[in-house]
Amino acid sequence: MSPVRVTWGRTIGHARGLYTTALTLAGFLSLVAAAFAFNFDRAEGGTLPLTALWAASAAPILPVLAAFLAMGVWSDERQSGRLAALLSVAVRERDYVLGKFLGVWTLLMAALVLSLATLGGALLVLAPAALSGVSLLSLLPPLLTLGVQGLLWTAAAVALSAMFRQAAAAAATAVVLLVALPRALWSGLRLWSSRGATAFGELPFDAHAVDGALGTFALGTLVAYLVVTVVCLLVATKCVAATRFVGRGARTLRVSTGIVLALSAVFAALVVRLALRVDATVELPVVGLSDEFSPRTRGILAESSGEIAVTCFLSRGDARFRPLGHLLRSLRRASASLGGARLEIRFVDPRWDIAAAERLAARGVSENSLVFEKGRRLVVLPLKDGCGERLCASTIRRLTTPPQRRNVYWTVGHGEATLDGYGLYGLSNIARELAREGYRNAPFDLAATATIPNDCALLVLSGPKSAFARVELDRLDAYLRAGGRLLVLLGPAEGAGLASLLATWGVKATPVALAGAKTLSGSDVIVTDFSDHPVSAPLRGSRIVLERPTALAPSAVAVSGAGADHIGFSALASLDGVVLAAAVERGSAAGDDLAIRPTRLVVIGDATFALNGALGARANANRDFLLNSVAYLSGTDAVGASGTEAGLLVSGLDRAARARFAVVTVGVLPSVVFLLLAGATLRRRLRT
Amino acid sequence: MIEVRNLAFTYRSRPVLRDVSFVVSPGEVVSIVGANGAGKTTLLNVLATLAVPDSGQILLDGQDALARPLRYSRQVGYLPESPAFYDDMTVKDYLRYRANLKGEPAKRVRRRVSEAAEICRVADCLGVPLKRLSLGVRKRVALADAILLRPRVLLLDDFLAGLDTGMRRAAGDLLSNAAAFSSVIVTGHELDDLARWTTRFLVLRNGLVSSVETAGLEASALRARLDAALEGGAR
Repeated sequence: MSPVRVTWGRTIGHARGLYTTALTLAGFLSLVAAAFAFNFDRAEGGTLPLTALWAASAAPILPVLAAFLAMGVWSDERQSGRLAALLSVAVRERDYVLGKFLGVWTLLMAALVLSLATLGGALLVLAPAALSGVSLLSLLPPLLTLGVQGLLWTAAAVALSAMFRQAAAAAATAVVLLVALPRALWSGLRLWSSRGATAFGELPFDAHAVDGALGTFALGTLVAYLVVTVVCLLVATKCVAATRFVGRGARTLRVSTGIVLALSAVFAALVVRLALRVDATVELPVVGLSDEFSPRTRGILAESSGEIAVTCFLSRGDARFRPLGHLLRSLRRASASLGGARLEIRFVDPRWDIAAAERLAARGVSENSLVFEKGRRLVVLPLKDGCGERLCASTIRRLTTPPQRRNVYWTVGHGEATLDGYGLYGLSNIARELAREGYRNAPFDLAATATIPNDCALLVLSGPKSAFARVELDRLDAYLRAGGRLLVLLGPAEGAGLASLLATWGVKATPVALAGAKTLSGSDVIVTDFSDHPVSAPLRGSRIVLERPTALAPSAVAVSGAGADHIGFSALASLDGVVLAAAVERGSAAGDDLAIRPTRLVVIGDATFALNGALGARANANRDFLLNSVAYLSGTDAVGASGTEAGLLVSGLDRAARARFAVVTVGVLPSVVFLLLAGATLRRRLRT
Repeated sequence: MIEVRNLAFTYRSRPVLRDVSFVVSPGEVVSIVGANGAGKTTLLNVLATLAVPDSGQILLDGQDALARPLRYSRQVGYLPESPAFYDDMTVKDYLRYRANLKGEPAKRVRRRVSEAAEICRVADCLGVPLKRLSLGVRKRVALADAILLRPRVLLLDDFLAGLDTGMRRAAGDLLSNAAAFSSVIVTGHELDDLARWTTRFLVLRNGLVSSVETAGLEASALRARLDAALEGGAR
């Protein structure tokens, strides 16, 4: 049996007999679960797959785990006097170091697998929807990545253990050097640099964990990890061997060892530098990202033609780079398979591709953008608000179909939220979304203008607080009678005097208290019941969040009338049978041959529904619901819904379920693991 | 045969060993005695390759041990002054672990462990956890570890310290058994006990070694010569 294997087995066996191992593993599980629960909450609706989220949660805690698992492997031997017994055997120090290193690394990997198992089990019970798309195969890339990172942390921790006589001192130094110092330095650089977070992005270790979890492995990164691991092991070996260097005769050995270590460090730096310059990247097909697209996207791609140049103007170190690259490549494959436009993808890193970056800057394109070009038409998408499948599809549609601008007018003067409001209570986000979809937004003063312009595709009342004048209500009514389209976002204390107008058009609004409903913050409700209507059907499987909603019901006129005067009331979204969003249509029954443009209203019982704060909060389909409403009212196709977009993280958890998930994964499961491991340790100790 | 030539060792500018030379033949049991701080443990550490000497040579059958320390270490068994164990193991587990670590083929490990346990009289406590053993038994386990692979050189540091009279007598038998296949070098202060089974005493004085033969000497005469040699060292 080789000494490496014997030492590996002894390291694991010794660790199994310690209560500190059980405590360390349970602590690791708890910390990873806490980080995961926090990230899971924030990533809802994002493109980051669950596996990458786990990797991002575990990566910062991995060096702490390595520090505590490795703290005693050498310092205990030194302190107890067992080191002399080890060194008197004809075994090379490097074999001992390798054996102990592999032993600690095995425990570290076991902790990672245990973390995956506990979190996966909890998700399977509490949020099975979130696990859609996660296969056992998709767990390999994050495990592999964290395993490679674990090699580095373990080697460093073993080296530190070989330097100290006290295990606690070794652990404390490891935590400071491997966790606190790099993070403090990186944060300092981010603060100090004028370009801040843009220039430095995430800490490389965290970014590598996410990249690897997404199946992207850079050769330079792998080589860097492995080379630094080897250097750390070399240092550990020399530290152990230095035990023999106590006399004057060892002076030559000390000097030669120092020279070897210095040369190794220089060689390692050169190898890493070379590997980083080569910058070869391997993308594994086994990843958590999906290549499937929604029917809308596939339709747009199938209808597209010609050649579209897509330029990703983004630093390769940016966390968004890999998922975005994957999305663009998937779009290119899908378009090719559907016989659509040929997508030419180019990546421009502002720090490395200087000439291309300057050319883009000369055309007015700023960093962190996605540029779509077809012929002389160009669309620039800033990435700061995220860029997913839907937006890319809309952009491709805009480039490949003739421009058709539709005007959306937003009433002002009654306390409505404003289009240029960039705060939580503004509408700037939804205005930008509409502009990207090809709409032109404009404020409209109903009191100052006698008639609503003919080019008005639809009029929006975004939570008016003060009452409309009689003349304004008359103008609204006249507009609707002439086939107008109206979107109303209605507050709970409706003081705008719209009740009579809405009642005329088939909608009766009443305050409602929805006790026991699922909630995120306590004052909102989560709505997941969507009807089979063009606005709401694509949202099935996702959710909208309404703040203190108003109940809607069909008024008496909704069922009266015939032919062209028939007013049809359709519930769009309901909660426990209470309608919270509705669509009304008059005149559709007249038949197409009469060429009458039917009047359409969409009423949503929440004045804050489309505010920046509501859209920017946890993942919800509010934006998609509003965009679908606008599309329905203006007569264009619905944009779909985030919930139906492939590859998005949708858990379906409300606040109570999230709290339950956190309690189970952060508290209960690690405690159970601790009790089991400590019990096994106690049993072993009693037996011996 | 192990031969030490002109061995010198300096610790923090203080010369501990100066020009130490001696030869131990196979089957011989040599005791190294000297005052506290005379360098007995240091000498054994150097012989066990746990410390690198300033100068000098260690030759095992004419081969330079310091040039090929691994090859040399394979033929050396070492028992430190205070043996330390993994207390979570039983005697059997520990001896098997050590045999594996020393590179003994798996099929021979069980036999080696049994033999060493028999010689050192720990066969009846193979299943006992190490933490429950008395000091004397622990020393016997450590000796079993040292002789596991029948080394050609056996280094025992202060082997008799802490053992009661009965144990010391038994230890003598153990050493006699071990000497059947090894050159034994043992350090200690128990002159009377050591004299029973030592073929030769080496007295460390001022970093130098003077030899005292036991053959043909009466116990009282031997004691007198040793005391004289040790007192000289103290002066």
